[in-house]
Amino acid sequence: MVSAELLAACRRGDRRAFEELVEITHRRVYSLAFRLTGDRTEAEDVSQEAYLRMFRGLAGFREEAQFETWMHRIVTNCAISMRKRRGRFGDLLAEEPEDVPVPDSTAPALVERDSLSRALALLPEGQRIAVLLKDVYGLSCKEIGEELGVGEGAVKVRLHRARKRLRELLDEPDARAHQL
Amino acid sequence: MSRTRGRISCDAVRELLPEYAEPGPRPAGAVEVHLAACVGCSAELQAYRSLLSSLADLRGVEVEAPDGFLEASLRTARSAALRGRIPGRTELLAASARASDAIRRHGTGVRYVAATVGGAAAGATAIAIVWWSLARRAVSADAV
Repeated sequence: MVSAELLAACRRGDRRAFEELVEITHRRVYSLAFRLTGDRTEAEDVSQEAYLRMFRGLAGFREEAQFETWMHRIVTNCAISMRKRRGRFGDLLAEEPEDVPVPDSTAPALVERDSLSRALALLPEGQRIAVLLKDVYGLSCKEIGEELGVGEGAVKVRLHRARKRLRELLDEPDARAHQL
Repeated sequence: MSRTRGRISCDAVRELLPEYAEPGPRPAGAVEVHLAACVGCSAELQAYRSLLSSLADLRGVEVEAPDGFLEASLRTARSAALRGRIPGRTELLAASARASDAIRRHGTGVRYVAATVGGAAAGATAIAIVWWSLARRAVSADAV
């Protein structure tokens, strides 16, 4: 948890405070960057750019309670900007295929973490980003729409499809293993 | 095969479940009535809730960063802190505006001090130039 005192010290340009902020947040920043990009090198570039934007933006940031959401939005924004620069942003806005009907089944009480991570990686990029930001990182559909440059309704459609697809993938271990 | 319990079918209910599984209060209605009576749809709802809960848990699971990532991030932090200490154009303009404002607010006293300091500096420069010219002329005369 990043304290209000630490953020205030960063605003004063305190070098030690900047370092402490990085030490506290670097794993979370890298994890989100990696989950968004799916690429280790790209995740590193996104994280460094996100830190630069964070340090520049801290002077004007006053809502300490919302620091994590703010940080997640900056990382997401950097990931999207980088993909735009590298000509891959089209993937995020592309029409996604319709999902096949969800089979009747009774799921286990807990979803195994590795299976879930693998299933997430198999989602189309637009769906993956929507479900990551909403269901893992707790951003609102409106905030996600603002970052992706699409409407709230479009985010909800992706989210709906993503959750259904995840249920299918987690329900079909043989099919999943075949795809991997 | 689609079954109907009450006034809403299993297919229609299942289409709603990805959003319905989100935490929060739900108004009692046809979907609630259906779920209370349909074991299959109720289990499906449970599966979606389990999925959302597992996704939320992922937030606390960190991906291992590559070697050197923390050091690179610390270097970024140090350079950002250094840049923060060197005033940019905006800060210099703001400081200049603050000084002008102080002179306006403090009136003649500050103006008098500023004029005295400025006059002294100009006078000292003039004396130095005259002294340097005379010294140069003397050196030239010696050489001849």
